[in-house]
Amino acid sequence: MDHTIEARPTYAYLELTLNPGEKVATEGGAMAWMSTGLKIQTSTRGGLMAGLKRSMLTGESFFQNTYEAINEPGILGLTPSQPGDIVAHQMTGKELLLEKGAYLASHPDVKLSSNFQGLSGLFNEGMFVLRATGDGLLFFNSYGSIEKIDLDGEYIVDNGLAVAWDADLSYTITRARSLGSFLFSDQLLMRFSGRGSLWVQSRKPRVLASWAHPFRPVQRRDRR
Amino acid sequence: MDVQVEDRGAFSWVQVGLEGEEQFVSESGAMFRSSTNIDIEVTTRGGKGGGILSGIGRSLAGESFFLSTYRSLDGQPGDVGLAPTHQGEIRKIELDGSARWLCTGGSYLGSARSLELDTAFQGIGGMLSGESLSFMGVTGEGPLVVTAFGKLTEIEVDGNFTVDTGHVVAFEETLSYSVGKAAKSFIKSFLVGEGLVLKFSGRGRVYVQSHNPDEFGKSLGSMLPPRREG
Repeated sequence: MDHTIEARPTYAYLELTLNPGEKVATEGGAMAWMSTGLKIQTSTRGGLMAGLKRSMLTGESFFQNTYEAINEPGILGLTPSQPGDIVAHQMTGKELLLEKGAYLASHPDVKLSSNFQGLSGLFNEGMFVLRATGDGLLFFNSYGSIEKIDLDGEYIVDNGLAVAWDADLSYTITRARSLGSFLFSDQLLMRFSGRGSLWVQSRKPRVLASWAHPFRPVQRRDRR
Repeated sequence: MDVQVEDRGAFSWVQVGLEGEEQFVSESGAMFRSSTNIDIEVTTRGGKGGGILSGIGRSLAGESFFLSTYRSLDGQPGDVGLAPTHQGEIRKIELDGSARWLCTGGSYLGSARSLELDTAFQGIGGMLSGESLSFMGVTGEGPLVVTAFGKLTEIEVDGNFTVDTGHVVAFEETLSYSVGKAAKSFIKSFLVGEGLVLKFSGRGRVYVQSHNPDEFGKSLGSMLPPRREG
């Protein structure tokens, strides 16, 4: 399986070349273009419960599609729903945790499951993150550009802006430190510690959404 | 103080390195990551001016009411990553103290603590038009970071130049400026579909942005479900 990521980091899309017999699992709805010879299999991957858990808890789609090249090589173009960056990550048995909605595609040997984040997860974007295990290529994406931080010690990331991190890293949710911050700001922070890799995105869709909010038309109250 | 613009096109960000007593101020909420030895203090103050009034002034200027101030807790080198709301480019401007800079609403991202921040209004005419015609004034010596919606372009004005208010990012006050209409009469202006403009004259730098955030907001807002009346 060959891959290229084009148009980084603003409109990044992934193009895969599958040789006969090769398969790739993708997020449902990510396919933008493909060779007609590819066979598509739609499943909940791991059964109904796994699919339900994935969609309800981690914001990923209920169905995952598997594309397979049968007799001849084929091309598969995958695009995320938001403009931004894509990272190709080679899994080597180490567990990786992904933020809600970050999953794009993976080698069939990469297993995905939802992972309960404990109560600290309540403050995170979702209470569950996606856990990836196994060997093979994994592709993930985010709104904004993605920066990799090789951590040995501690680092702080704004809540919801960590795209993916090694499971070796642990994190706690904190608030901005000083009293003034506590009173006036709602900035929750993820404080990572340990040794491993951490990927951070540079824009938050939620901030854009709250910026757009005042532009919505106003519905008048019924005064009768 | 080491301020680096990490150029990633539409998704650029700024990396600020702080050590010793160095302090940097940003629009509150702009920080997206930092080392653990960085203290974040959220205040209504900025620079040497301050207090609630200047906070309100800033929010009228289209900036967030609060500013965050960052410093190293232990004096050891630390770093802060700052990113704006919109997709667009970022520019660092080194102020040499010779002239005040004016930033339009939303385009101020951050500045060294040594720079003084204030709010400059454009009077009642500006208020009535509904467009933000107040500016964030920045004086002193040190780095100022501005952000654009879309592409950021520097224009060296020598003579006269006119820019739509929604496309102005920042400019040097060595230029004299006045708020006006694009066409001669108000009716004509309205028909042409152009709002208010800034008419610059003299010599100095103007930064402009390729896209107008308010226009984008209006085109997006009309497609969203209505919100309840406040």
